[in-house]
Amino acid sequence: MINVSDLGIKFRIEKRRRSRAFTFLFERSHNRQRPTDEFWALRHVSFTVERGETVGIIGRNGSGKSTLLRVIAGIYPPDEGKVSVGGEVSTLFSLGTGFNAELSGRDNIYLNGIMMGLTKEQIDGISDAIIEFAELGDFIDIPVRTYSSGMRLRLGFAIAIHCDKDIVLIDEIMGAGDAAFRQKAEAEMNRIMGERTVILVSHAMGTIERFATRVIWLNRGVMAAMGEPKEVIEQYLAESKVKKRPPDEE
Amino acid sequence: MIEQLKNIWQRRELLWYIVKLQMKAEKKNKALGFAWSFLDPLLLLLVYIVLVHYIFGRGGPQFPVLLFIALLSWRWFTSSLSRSVTSVTSKVGLIQSVRFPLAVLPLSGIIIGFFDWLFGFVILLPMLFIFEASLTVNILWLPLLLLIQFVGTVGACLIVAVVGTYLSDLGNIIQFLIRLGFYLSPILYSVEGMVPERLTMLYMLGNPFAGLMESYKSVVIRGAPPNEYALWGAAVAVIAFLGGLWYFSRDEYKLVKSI
Repeated sequence: MINVSDLGIKFRIEKRRRSRAFTFLFERSHNRQRPTDEFWALRHVSFTVERGETVGIIGRNGSGKSTLLRVIAGIYPPDEGKVSVGGEVSTLFSLGTGFNAELSGRDNIYLNGIMMGLTKEQIDGISDAIIEFAELGDFIDIPVRTYSSGMRLRLGFAIAIHCDKDIVLIDEIMGAGDAAFRQKAEAEMNRIMGERTVILVSHAMGTIERFATRVIWLNRGVMAAMGEPKEVIEQYLAESKVKKRPPDEE
Repeated sequence: MIEQLKNIWQRRELLWYIVKLQMKAEKKNKALGFAWSFLDPLLLLLVYIVLVHYIFGRGGPQFPVLLFIALLSWRWFTSSLSRSVTSVTSKVGLIQSVRFPLAVLPLSGIIIGFFDWLFGFVILLPMLFIFEASLTVNILWLPLLLLIQFVGTVGACLIVAVVGTYLSDLGNIIQFLIRLGFYLSPILYSVEGMVPERLTMLYMLGNPFAGLMESYKSVVIRGAPPNEYALWGAAVAVIAFLGGLWYFSRDEYKLVKSI
């Protein structure tokens, strides 16, 4: 379903926060090429995901988890290696980014649905279920900027789960929210598991262990381990405890 | 590049939704809401009429309508440009959530601007009768003029959207150029009688917008055929379109990473 081989994603970081145009206009040519400005967010990452699998991705902040999801969603093209995705991908929601804050929840359901390539009729069919699942009630018709973070989260999760796509990407969306919603979200996860392919990013090891059939541990953009959830999580937790924090992170 | 056009065409429903919802979001929080679509151009028109007609004592009897058609079209161009500077950076959340052809972002601004043009045109219609504009068959040129402007605006906006993402100062530069362009284009004045005859050719070639502006006035108000320099405008528009499309397609993926 998803085939990633030797994936590399490179970012350019401007050390002095200068735009390319500024550099081009005002800096001498020998200063322009600074090889240290390249930063590999992901490198030599290879794995395959079969249909119906739920793969958990763990790792510390800045280890490339969200970048990997964006690659699978087709947002970043690989700088190295190959990625093939054999199915339609749902929108990648991380805590309700991708909403237009001035618009109502209902409008945002349509906007996000259309963005994912659904037709208006298809969204008409699922919008009631989304609103009910997100428990937004009357709030659905007022601007999203008035929503609490929990409400945004519920709406984002509800949209991602109800849009009938083969591949569902979930970025740190299970861990937040109150207990009641978490229970419901987990029930929903259980329902779609096996039916659809899910890639789940989370810092909540409990969630990962419960749902993932396989876990990938990313460490500074490379795969540190992949395999049985329990084993990989243990390795990861052991490593994070023993090792001193590298000074350049966080 | 043809691929790019195909992608946009495939996602036309998305483009339409972005336009619709953006317009909704812009009007929603205002007490007068939708009425501003008509009030905005009308108030702007009034300011210039007072300035030129009463303070400077210039402009003929048809000045208000001549000014209005030129002002509407100029506003369409400039609002598209200003919107497109931040069209990519203001949608970071969306861009990083789902894949779609980014060109729909500057494009949506142009379409919103065109709706403003249409609203303005609705106000212009009764004014055409009040100021006794000569309506002739030449008005049929109008869609073609609009198409030329649309094609050129798309090209300019695609370039501006890319550069504006790399260089946030572009917003200030564009504002200055818009102000300058306003006075250098035949909006407050007409080429005939304002630009010395021996400089006319230089003026019209130097400002590809001038031919188009004069043509709008001719076909809508004067009942005359378009200005011959509209052809020059069309040529520049097509070049800008192709250049913009090429540049945008080349840098589209780099944009995603640099926001």
